[in-house]
Amino acid sequence: MKHKLVAAVGVAAMTAVLAACGDDGSGGGGGGGGEGGGGADSITVWLMDGSAPDAWVQELNAAFEEEHGVEVNVEIQQWDGIQERVTTALSEDGTVDVLEIGNTQTVGYANTGGLADLSDFAGEPWTASMLDSAQVDDTLYAVPWYGANRVVIYDRSVWEEAGAEVPTTRDEWITALEAIDENTEAEPIYLPGQSYYVLGGFLADEGGSFAVEDGDGWAGGLATPEGEAAMDFYAQLQSFSDSPTDNDEAEPQQSTDVVPNQEVASWIGLGWEAAGATAAIEEAGGEADFGYFPIPGKTADELGHVFLGGSNLAISERAGDSELAAEWLRMATSQEWAQRYVDANNGGVVPNRSDVTASPEAGSFAEAMVQPVDFGFLPPLTTGWTNVETEPNPIKELMTRALNGDDYQSAAEEADAEITDRINRE
Amino acid sequence: MTVDIEKAPPPPVPPVRRTVPGGQRPRRRAGLRLPGGWVPYLLIAPAVAALAAVLGYSLVRNVLISFQEFGRRQLISRTTEYTGWDNFRRVLEMDRFWDSVARTFVFTAVNVALIMIIGTLVGLLLRQLGPVMRLVLSLSLVVAWAMPVIAATTVFRWLFDTQFGVANWAMRTLGFEGYEDHNWFDSGISTLTIAGILIIWGSIPFVALNLYAGLTTVSAEVLEAARMDGAGSWRIFWSIIAPIMRPFFLITTFLEIIWVFKAFPQVYALNGGGPNRESETLPVMAYVEGIGQNQYGTGAAISVLTILILLVAMSFYFRLILKQEKEQDA
Repeated sequence: MKHKLVAAVGVAAMTAVLAACGDDGSGGGGGGGGEGGGGADSITVWLMDGSAPDAWVQELNAAFEEEHGVEVNVEIQQWDGIQERVTTALSEDGTVDVLEIGNTQTVGYANTGGLADLSDFAGEPWTASMLDSAQVDDTLYAVPWYGANRVVIYDRSVWEEAGAEVPTTRDEWITALEAIDENTEAEPIYLPGQSYYVLGGFLADEGGSFAVEDGDGWAGGLATPEGEAAMDFYAQLQSFSDSPTDNDEAEPQQSTDVVPNQEVASWIGLGWEAAGATAAIEEAGGEADFGYFPIPGKTADELGHVFLGGSNLAISERAGDSELAAEWLRMATSQEWAQRYVDANNGGVVPNRSDVTASPEAGSFAEAMVQPVDFGFLPPLTTGWTNVETEPNPIKELMTRALNGDDYQSAAEEADAEITDRINRE
Repeated sequence: MTVDIEKAPPPPVPPVRRTVPGGQRPRRRAGLRLPGGWVPYLLIAPAVAALAAVLGYSLVRNVLISFQEFGRRQLISRTTEYTGWDNFRRVLEMDRFWDSVARTFVFTAVNVALIMIIGTLVGLLLRQLGPVMRLVLSLSLVVAWAMPVIAATTVFRWLFDTQFGVANWAMRTLGFEGYEDHNWFDSGISTLTIAGILIIWGSIPFVALNLYAGLTTVSAEVLEAARMDGAGSWRIFWSIIAPIMRPFFLITTFLEIIWVFKAFPQVYALNGGGPNRESETLPVMAYVEGIGQNQYGTGAAISVLTILILLVAMSFYFRLILKQEKEQDA
């Protein structure tokens, strides 16, 4: 009798745990208005970590609360695992009203029916190059918020000590890193093994792309001579780094976990990362002496290609109060607040509107960032691209394998097969 | 020499018969007998209802989802699209699935064997130790058992960290070459070995403490008699302790197989099934395909197949246990 009971309990426990793997998705943050909208006394806004300066958010929300008498709950989300949370939030009523979505992922979410139609906003003077990532079949599902590129951030004193010059070509870049390697104790460049948008830039320098159109669908574009050349250069740079090959720039967070704690002569990062690193170094009693230069190209005539990163703001189709959400969105992206946003970032972002200007100071991050504006690239803006970016990300896996000495061609063919499989999924 | 299992005393004769020899059934004292009619069902109803609500519902939902095309769009727009056996067909055609099946079986077999061997040895050790050391060992076992899985996994992740891990430091200190920034998670086998150590470490207390508890019921006379007859420790274990504790070993092995087979957080939180998906066991694969990539239908199909595979594998074990019970009842 005892044994049967034990066996029965065991089997029940087993099925339960396995079944739990299948469905369920726990709820996201609370807040939002009640179901169906109307009379909500607060709205919930999801912003990504590092996107918005605190002061700007607080002033904006204070102004909004004064005008509408409605509280704004801003919940800061981490990029890691964001897709699962956004998916869950969009499937629930009133979990989130306004949310920031990365520009490579917006089209995918628009296609699910989770984002509200924002045609009302189409008349604003949005920066033209940013609109592609926010609309499907000419219908606007999100509005551009900011653009951001990566630049090389370097420690001026270390470079001076090594006698290294700011490079204008890839060859000069390598020469500079060699000089730092020989003449100083510092890590010449911190480059994690899986910074795949940096690789994407090198791939664009060669004329390649993560995926190419193939008949009606798309196919992975990594098992190509361009892909191999891009990976070779990435590996050459990465050989100057002490970083493991199986991590990315977010884990460990390079700006706050790595750069302030090690002697790093240079790294590739975004504006908010540079600001975060500076703050962390100053908090530890040090002084950040950062200089910035755009990623060099193959020749001095052309800069390296950079991923035109950025974010859009969208309204959930199931927002608790879509009218208030639209009001908040209208205010946040108005000329006045968009300008204040750019100013709060010290001009370190590409503005979302043509009537907003960024005037970066000389020697600032922003100045280096706006230079390669003609050398940008975006991954394919298809609905399936989001699937490629979920973990385990085949591009990242390929990079680790290539850096660990696996045969590039066969590893890239496997990655391409996975990309092709995922990108053609809706 | 064979010893019968747990020579339990015969069940006491119900006092009812003795006090009422006339054969007439006493109505008032029926409470002493097992109740009949609907009472047993009433008593078991809360447990069944709780199981049905918590487990049954999700199990049924899971099976339903495994027959649906269920992705991000269906979840967000709340549509239901049945596609018959498509998910199962796709999963069964995946090489990755069969790799994962083989990996899960090997992983389970190795870990359960090690858990049972080490757990038994620790259990025997507990019996031999003096009171103070026994307390110390029991406490450390209980602490290991009580450790939350994710916390333990995080600590293991740090122990084996590439740059700052104590494992690399220890290997270097012991004089081994090549442990300067050695990445312990650079292959599936290495990752699963660490997950295995973690699981074994977490499971030994259960086996050891239960074995120790069971051993206290083995009468000292039997052991002493055996020793008088010249049996060594090895002989005593195999001829006396093992047969007496046979039900314990059967049930514990059974539970350990289930626990290791379904071990999810230890493997997933260590390295997410990586690198390159080489450490994906079946539950991890179901999660990665389902939740990680928003393919809930496919993930559900994998978990349903996992349950079926485990049921088939365990049916052999069920038979063994049922046979055992029959022998005991006879």
